[in-house]
Amino acid sequence: MRRLLTLREGSIVVVTILAIAYFAVANDRFLTSANFKTLLPYFAPFAILAVGEVMLMVAGEIDLSIGSVYLFAPFMFYEFHQLGLPLVVDLLLCLVCAALIGALNGVLTAVVGISSFIVTLGTLLGVGGLTLIISGAAPVAMPGAEVHTTTESVKKVVNGHTITLQEQVNHVGGFARVFGAGIYSELIWALLAVALLHVVLRSTRWGMYTVAVGGNRHGAAEAGIKVRSIVIRNFVLCALLAGFVGVLEAMRASSVTPDTAGASETMFRAVSAAVIGGTLLAGGEGTVVGALLGALFLGVLRDGLVLDGVSADYLDFILGFAILIAMAVNIYVGRVRKGSGHA
Amino acid sequence: MHEERGIGGSGRSEVNADIAAEALDRLEWRDARRSTPERAPRFAMARRAALTGGGAALASAMLAACSSGSDAKASSGSAGDTFGSSKKLKFVFVNHVTTNTFFVPTRYGAQDACDLFGAQYQWTGSENSNVNEMVNAMNTAITGGADGLAVALVDDKAFNSPTDAAIKADIPVVGYNADASTNSRLAYIGQDLFASGQEMGNRIVDLVGSGPVALFIATPGSTNLQPRIDGALSVLKAHPSITTSTVATGAAIPAELSTIDSYVTAHSDVKGLFAVDAGSTQSIAQTMQKHSLRGKGVKAGGYDLTPITQKLLASDQLDFTIDQQPYLQGFLPVLELYLYTVSKTLSGMADVNTGLKFLDKTTVKPYNSTKSRYEGSSKAAGVSKS
Repeated sequence: MRRLLTLREGSIVVVTILAIAYFAVANDRFLTSANFKTLLPYFAPFAILAVGEVMLMVAGEIDLSIGSVYLFAPFMFYEFHQLGLPLVVDLLLCLVCAALIGALNGVLTAVVGISSFIVTLGTLLGVGGLTLIISGAAPVAMPGAEVHTTTESVKKVVNGHTITLQEQVNHVGGFARVFGAGIYSELIWALLAVALLHVVLRSTRWGMYTVAVGGNRHGAAEAGIKVRSIVIRNFVLCALLAGFVGVLEAMRASSVTPDTAGASETMFRAVSAAVIGGTLLAGGEGTVVGALLGALFLGVLRDGLVLDGVSADYLDFILGFAILIAMAVNIYVGRVRKGSGHA
Repeated sequence: MHEERGIGGSGRSEVNADIAAEALDRLEWRDARRSTPERAPRFAMARRAALTGGGAALASAMLAACSSGSDAKASSGSAGDTFGSSKKLKFVFVNHVTTNTFFVPTRYGAQDACDLFGAQYQWTGSENSNVNEMVNAMNTAITGGADGLAVALVDDKAFNSPTDAAIKADIPVVGYNADASTNSRLAYIGQDLFASGQEMGNRIVDLVGSGPVALFIATPGSTNLQPRIDGALSVLKAHPSITTSTVATGAAIPAELSTIDSYVTAHSDVKGLFAVDAGSTQSIAQTMQKHSLRGKGVKAGGYDLTPITQKLLASDQLDFTIDQQPYLQGFLPVLELYLYTVSKTLSGMADVNTGLKFLDKTTVKPYNSTKSRYEGSSKAAGVSKS
């Protein structure tokens, strides 16, 4: 226990376990495999968004535009598909579009020198508007995510007798299953993204330079780190992940609606997952694994509260206070950690 | 008979019909279950955690108090005797704009029906038409063992697989407010959107006769609006003397108002302004008033009743509005889901068209002079003078 608490992610682990324990006691459906599958989309997409945000926040910047990029990418995917390109090419091209937005954010921030908050606020609105224009404000069905229903013979054992029943079975294409529509698809992508970026941030030059840039920009520049290149690279990474999650989520729902009102909410959930996980808004310190846990905590709260039958009017109210109280606990546990001399 | 579908909950089969006895029974059974030896350590630890600074747990505990508030209350009516079922059914409404005032009467309708049948309902979904969030809420409801789902099917495809999953798990699903043609929901309760659009088209032909007409829609393509405008256009196509233009106005009322305002300024020859959503209809009425378009013989109309639409319709700024009775869209899903469940699937499901109620400046009067749950203008039962 003491060892766990000395980790940077220790406090959010404790808080998440407390939340899970509460819901496990309060509702006997919470700790079931069915609910585990239900829980996945509550946190996996936000975990991927959050780890991209962590890389930027460690470098002392923030990207508010991820909500719009998340919305924009699946529409570009659809448009490229309309041109007759195969699905994999559509995906790559729409990710290139997302990366370009990230590069634009990076150049405006690092080269032109506008604060990243304002730059990405601008692209949040601009890219959201662009999505509305491209889509004609109309929802589209995601190519490759069509569901086919077939009737199959399923063998079942009833009272010791094996009988064959005709059952309707739904199928989704392999591409869609890999990219979002499969039950564990988003979880696997999230774990991959977390593992990869954890290594990048902890053990590579890119990661160390990112921490240095966020901690002391002048010092980093004087030490010979190419600050601009690091900042732009992290913006591109963040936008790339946002676009990717956008496609995953659109594939999962099999269609996508240009609701720009939801864009900022998506962004706020990702940023709050990063901060709850232990990344400093001020930069210089952060954890990728913490972002995953932060997203998990928020997902557990939402799923658990809906499962407990909380109606919409009360949900935000309870969610808000739950986050405040959990963060107070988080800080308290954090003090224990600092007191242990491992800070 | 009472069925418990949760983990490790197979130990009970018989339940006294008396509701109070059942509640007591249930509590005792839960306590007994919690103290079975092999489960004890986990719960004991969780309890201890909750007592020693379990912040999240504490916060969540508030919901116990909150969810027993007005939204989740149930009465002990005699419905159980009438229908021979003592189980307190729990229905989940999945909505696309949970906090929108349009659905206040819908929630009153659901609550009133639940009170009648001794059932309870949960109102959840998304605040801003986020389809993924709605799908999540549906899946959680299925996992949570809801007894029935009512879903606003605002997307053509996205709800198909959760609907299939629910029906496979013996949880009935009805659509309300918006319908999707390929969805396997058991019934739809709401406006027949295309037919209502056709009726509006006929009204437009009667009112305008000939000339340019503008049709406003908040979000083109959404399944609860687009069919209306398609219906209207299908009728107007047969009348070449009327030329139509379709204008998207956006989902927020300020944007809708300025879009319609600038359209009218730029098209002074327009003979009619019609809308297929509540916000645009209200904005048309306000624009009509602002530019005194009534005096220039411009006709106008639309859908739904916001307080402003009601007032301006009464003061003759609009020719008509179409009421789709949101109260029924809450009441009837509960009624149908309840009957379907207690009749063990023998009865209950029926498509209901709740909305072809044209209101004009005379028939809108009682809407302006009264307050009621039916229009969402009062919490109190019955209809009172405003």
